[in-house]
Amino acid sequence: MLKLVVCIKQVPMVSELPWDPATGTIQRDLAEGMMNPACRSALDAALRIKEAAGGEITAITMGPPMAEEILREAIALGADRGVLLTDRKMAGADTSVTSHTLARAIEKACPGFDLILCGFSTIDSETAQVGPQLAEELDIPGVAYVNELEISGRTVRMQRFTDNFLETLEMDLPGLVTVTTGRYAPRHVPLGGLQAAFAGADIVSLDAAAVGLDPERIGAKGSATKIRNVYSPTAGKKNIVLTGAPKRIVEQLFERFDDKIGGAIGRDLKTERK
Amino acid sequence: MDFNPCMKHKVVRKAVRMFAEAELAPIAHDIDRDARFPWEVMEKMRPLHFFGLQAPKAYGGAEMDTISYAIVIEEISRVSAAVGLCLTVHNSVGIYPIVRFGTEEQKNRFLPAMTQGERIGAFCLTEANAGSDAGGVETIAVRDGRDYVINGTKIFVTNGGVCGTALIFAITDTQNPQRSAAVFIVEKDNPGFAVGEIEDLCGMRANPVSSLFLEDCRVPETNLLGRPGNGIKIALETLDTGRLGIAAQALGLAQAAFEDSVRYSKERQQFRKPISSFQTIQNYLADMATEIDAARLLLYRACAVRDAGRPFGAEAAMAKLYCSALATRVTNTAVQIHGGYGYSKEYDVERYFRDAKVTEIYEGTSEVQRMVISRAVLARRT
Repeated sequence: MLKLVVCIKQVPMVSELPWDPATGTIQRDLAEGMMNPACRSALDAALRIKEAAGGEITAITMGPPMAEEILREAIALGADRGVLLTDRKMAGADTSVTSHTLARAIEKACPGFDLILCGFSTIDSETAQVGPQLAEELDIPGVAYVNELEISGRTVRMQRFTDNFLETLEMDLPGLVTVTTGRYAPRHVPLGGLQAAFAGADIVSLDAAAVGLDPERIGAKGSATKIRNVYSPTAGKKNIVLTGAPKRIVEQLFERFDDKIGGAIGRDLKTERK
Repeated sequence: MDFNPCMKHKVVRKAVRMFAEAELAPIAHDIDRDARFPWEVMEKMRPLHFFGLQAPKAYGGAEMDTISYAIVIEEISRVSAAVGLCLTVHNSVGIYPIVRFGTEEQKNRFLPAMTQGERIGAFCLTEANAGSDAGGVETIAVRDGRDYVINGTKIFVTNGGVCGTALIFAITDTQNPQRSAAVFIVEKDNPGFAVGEIEDLCGMRANPVSSLFLEDCRVPETNLLGRPGNGIKIALETLDTGRLGIAAQALGLAQAAFEDSVRYSKERQQFRKPISSFQTIQNYLADMATEIDAARLLLYRACAVRDAGRPFGAEAAMAKLYCSALATRVTNTAVQIHGGYGYSKEYDVERYFRDAKVTEIYEGTSEVQRMVISRAVLARRT
C-alpha cells in the first residue's frame, strides 16, 4: 500500500491579509485561516492516487494550534491521519528551516513513505522553496511544478509545463512532487466528512522535543534569512509631456526609458550607448 | 458560558462559504431574475450531504448538530436565500418529521433518497382557508381497506415544483378535524398527485413555490406518519425545528445586506468623501452590526437548547421573530445606503430586500411567533 504524505499549510484568507508594518510579517492572529489553494491541489492529487490504487494519506502541517483546522478539513476530504507540528520555538522559521523541521518530522511520523506531495507555492509568501528544499533535506528526488502525475509500480510519471512546452518526467519512489493548481482542482468539503473529522480523527500533535529537533536549528533562531520589509506595491500614473523637435523627443524617450525599451527588445541600451 | 465559536463551527462556516462563493455566487442574480431552480448546483450539493444535514448517518445523513445546521443555512442564504430556503425546508420540515415520527420501515423506504438529494422534500400544510390556523385544513384522507384516499389542494408549497416527497397534512374525519389530523408521505409519482402552476412571488424567486393537487390520491396505510390524530402534534414539533432554519436564512440575508453596505459605503463618494465617513451612514452600519450580532446569539442559543435535548419552542420562536424582522430592517437600510443604485436590479441589495419580507410570513407569521412566545411567558410567570 502506498504511503502518501501531503504537506499542507494554513494561510490567511485572501480577502483579508492584515500584516504588521512594524515587523513585516502577517498578523496571523487577526486573519481567518484557510488551506492554501495549491496544497488543496496536492491533496486532490493524493486523493486521486488513493481512489485509483489505494493507499494511506497523512496530512502534515506546521503552524499555530489553529492550523489543526486544515488537518480536520483534509481528513474530511479523505486523508487518513493528520500530524500537527506546533511549538512556539518553531515560529518565525524561514523556508530552509521549515524544510528541515518538516523533514525530521516526516522521518519521525511517517517512516517508509513513498511519495510526498506539496503545493507548488503558498499564497502568503509565494517562495515555492519549501517543497524542493524538503526533497534535499530528505535526500530524495523531487520534481517541482507538476501539472499531472500517475504512479505505476515504483515509478511516478509526471507532466509539467515549462515555458512553452510540456515536459514528461519519470522518477523513482520514494520521491517528492510539488503540484500546481492547473490540473487538480480543489474539492469542496463534504459536510458529513467534516462532522466525522471532528467526532474522532487520528491527529497527533508534535512539538520540537517530540520530533527531537535541535532548538538552535529551528524557528526564527535557526533561520539564516530575516524579512527586512514587506510592503504593498504602489502603482501610480504620471503624465510626461516631451517637447522639442521630433529628433529631440526621440532622444529624450531613449534617455528616460532606455531600461524599459531595452527590456522589451532584449538589448542592454544603456551599455550600447556608452 | 463560551461565546467563541468552536473549531468545528468555524470550519463548517468556511467550507460552506467557500462552496457558496464558488458555485452559487456567480448565478445568484440570474436565477432570481429568471425564476430558475438551479439543478446544476443541487447536483454539486448532493455528494456533500447538503440534503441530509441532520439526518442520521444510517440513512445517509451528515448527522450535524443544530448550530452547524444553522450555519450551513445562514451561509448558503447569504449568497442565495432561495437556495437556502430549498435546503432548510427539505432538511427540517421535509426530513425531520420522518426521522422523528417515522417507523423503521418508513425511514428505510423514504430517507436514503431524500438525504442523497434524489428526492427533494416539501411540507404541505397551507390551504386556501388554512395557514396559521392548522385546524382549518380541508384536505381529507379517507380510509379504504389498507389504503388512504386523499383529496384536497395545498397552496404556497415551498419546493412544490421540484419536490419528490411531500408530507401532506390532512384530516381523516370531517366531524372532528382537529383530533383526526394526520400527516401522509406522498411521493411525486403517486397517481393522483399533481403540481400546480409556479407562483409569481415578490422574492425567493429561484424557489419554485407552487400549489399541489391531490385527486383520489391513493397511498398505502404504511405512508401514514405516526397515528391518525397525531397531525397537529407533528406539525407543531416540525415547525419548531423549521423556524430555526428560517431564522438562519433571514440572518444570512441580513449578513449579506450588511456586508454589501459596508463595502459600498467605503467606495461611494459624495461631497468628495466616501459616504462611510458621514455619521448618518456610520449610525446605520452600527445599528445593523449590533442587531445582526444579537440575532445570531439568539439563534445559536435556541439551537444549543435543542441540541441539549430541552424544549426549545419558545426560543426558536424568539429567534425566528427577531431574525426575520431584523432581515427586513437591515435589507431596507441597505437599499437606503445604496441610494438609487440600491433600487436598481444591478445591485444585489434589491434582491435581498425582496427576499427578506417573506421570512416574517412563512413558517409561522411574526404574529404566530408572538402567540407562541407569550404562551410560554404566561405559563412561566404567575
